Amino acid sequence: MKTPWQIMTAGDWLVVLLLLGISFTGLLWVATTAEGTRVVVTSGGQTSFTAPLNQPRTVDLDGPLGQTHLVIDNQGARITGSPCPRKICISMGTAKQTGDLLACVPNRILVRIDSPVGEEAAYDLLSR
Amino acid sequence: MTCSAVESAELTRARRQVFLALFIAIAVTLHVLETLLPTPVPWLRLGLANIMTLVALYLYDGRAAWTISLARVGIGALLLGRLFSPGFWLAAAGAIVATSAMIVMHRVAGRRLSPIGISAIGAAGHALGQILAARLLVIQHPAIWQIMPLFLFFTLFSGILTGWLASGLLEQLQQHPAFQKNEADNNTSADDYVERACR
Amino acid sequence: MSWNRPLIIGLLVVLLAMTWWRLHPAEEEIRRSQLLMGTVVEIVAGGQAIESLESAVDAAFAEIARLDKLLSRYHQTSEVTRLAESARGSKVSVETMEVIALGLDVAQRSGGAFDLTLGKLKALWGFDQETPTVPDHAALSIALNGIGPRALSLQGQQVNKRAPQLQVDLGGIAKGYAVDRAIAVLKEHGVVSAAVNAGGDMYLLGQRPGRAWRIGIQHPRQTETVLETVQVHDQAVVTSGDYERFFEQDGVRYHHIFDPKTGLPARGCQSVTIIADSVALADALATAVFVLGPEAGLQLLTEYPQAEGLIVAADGTLHSSPGWARYRVAP
Repeated sequence: MKTPWQIMTAGDWLVVLLLLGISFTGLLWVATTAEGTRVVVTSGGQTSFTAPLNQPRTVDLDGPLGQTHLVIDNQGARITGSPCPRKICISMGTAKQTGDLLACVPNRILVRIDSPVGEEAAYDLLSR
Repeated sequence: MTCSAVESAELTRARRQVFLALFIAIAVTLHVLETLLPTPVPWLRLGLANIMTLVALYLYDGRAAWTISLARVGIGALLLGRLFSPGFWLAAAGAIVATSAMIVMHRVAGRRLSPIGISAIGAAGHALGQILAARLLVIQHPAIWQIMPLFLFFTLFSGILTGWLASGLLEQLQQHPAFQKNEADNNTSADDYVERACR
Repeated sequence: MSWNRPLIIGLLVVLLAMTWWRLHPAEEEIRRSQLLMGTVVEIVAGGQAIESLESAVDAAFAEIARLDKLLSRYHQTSEVTRLAESARGSKVSVETMEVIALGLDVAQRSGGAFDLTLGKLKALWGFDQETPTVPDHAALSIALNGIGPRALSLQGQQVNKRAPQLQVDLGGIAKGYAVDRAIAVLKEHGVVSAAVNAGGDMYLLGQRPGRAWRIGIQHPRQTETVLETVQVHDQAVVTSGDYERFFEQDGVRYHHIFDPKTGLPARGCQSVTIIADSVALADALATAVFVLGPEAGLQLLTEYPQAEGLIVAADGTLHSSPGWARYRVAP
């Protein structure tokens, strides 16, 4: 059987390169401007809390030093209070884009913004 | 084999029906077996069944390609227990967009595109159709568009693979008298084949 | 072609390899169910080798069965039955004592909305029978005679009944207690990620791989719909609803959560969901809040700072305790 390049015509190459170009441009666009959809909090390596980014709420995240206050509103997610000594986490500002990070290292809290898509089931169990 | 004086056109039609049925069977088998393959995301598949859609398009015509692709989606879903599930509609949407794109490009570009190019377009069509359906039906969130580029990237490669395999298959099949068209410019037509066997 | 046969053999090998791979997935998780305590108890456990999970789950089920025999009104040799037959009370095991202690605390704080002495009332309504009917006024009065948060008292492991005809029923709390004990057993066996669900009363231990447990709360009127989805780990979720067990007579629906003051089904709520640290507490609070109705129910919850609740009132409106929002992930 002939190898692909032996079969492909000039037209084929044009189509492939065009599609590659579109997908790469799309990838770049997504990586730079995409807003995140979900807040994921991990403490000590384990996921402790997730929430949608589009629902305003405040939550207290427990860590070894105490509670770190996280606020989610229409500007994004940001830390507004934490028991750590230098409060660097508060100065990290607001996280909104996919991949943005907030962290309170002394209290071992890591907040990440991502955009999960796919097979996540609505719930694991039903309480009735 | 009983040989009766059958009209050549009827013979051709019968032959086409039988082979399309066979192609559908092969396409469904490929589709089902594909689900055994590991994938990063559950519904991302190689789409090997599209080999048969391509083969039908080249050996016969656009209508044959529709027959293969729609039957494959329906029967495949029946077998896997996914008929009318959200995944089914995604696959159906993908198949519709892909098949339309492939038929149109084949008609328009003719010799300028090999099965590989047509298959690449088909793969992109599949991706587009699935994402569109997912956006409308499953995940009502604009974030779905964010996976489009990555999706497109992967499906491009599977499209090239499928097109290449289809090419090889076509090479073999087109030589066989059973698939020769009855046009005058072929010395061995399928009917001659049958006639010779009847003597 | 000369390479046809090797190609076919190669493809068959690949097919076999893939099938093999599919039969032994990397993520180990088991789901087992058994009929216990009059309901389906399902245990999901994961995160380690299947053999150790199996033995842990078996031990957990055994513990639930043991507690069922101890606490159920329907078992002739249970301590509850013994209590009912005794005139003044009896000595009970540590487990029964713990259940009764917790139940009495909720009973007192809820002003009697939760009650452990409704054995006669429940037997009268006969929800566990084929055709329950609405009891008449006289029968109800008899069944309610002597009940209340002060009808039982606990001195160490001695349970005292204020009136000899009182029948203790731990149904509103025993299931929860059994789930808590089952989780303890799983933990003793080293399981770190599990869910024990006894007919909707559940405890979620640890997390699923990668994220916390997501629990859907049934909509009380639309069976195919989820009211809300919450995300929890290491907590109990219990829902009490008027749709779980009911019958209709003359166009009126009678369900199984009774108001101890009237002996009739409580009408303040359609459903109540409680998230708390233990299933026994969540179970008792869910019943109490259901009987109390939205306003008084939320008031009761303020006395249990670690518990949060979601109430669907009788008119369908939603009420939630102040800290509930942190669990909600959908809608």
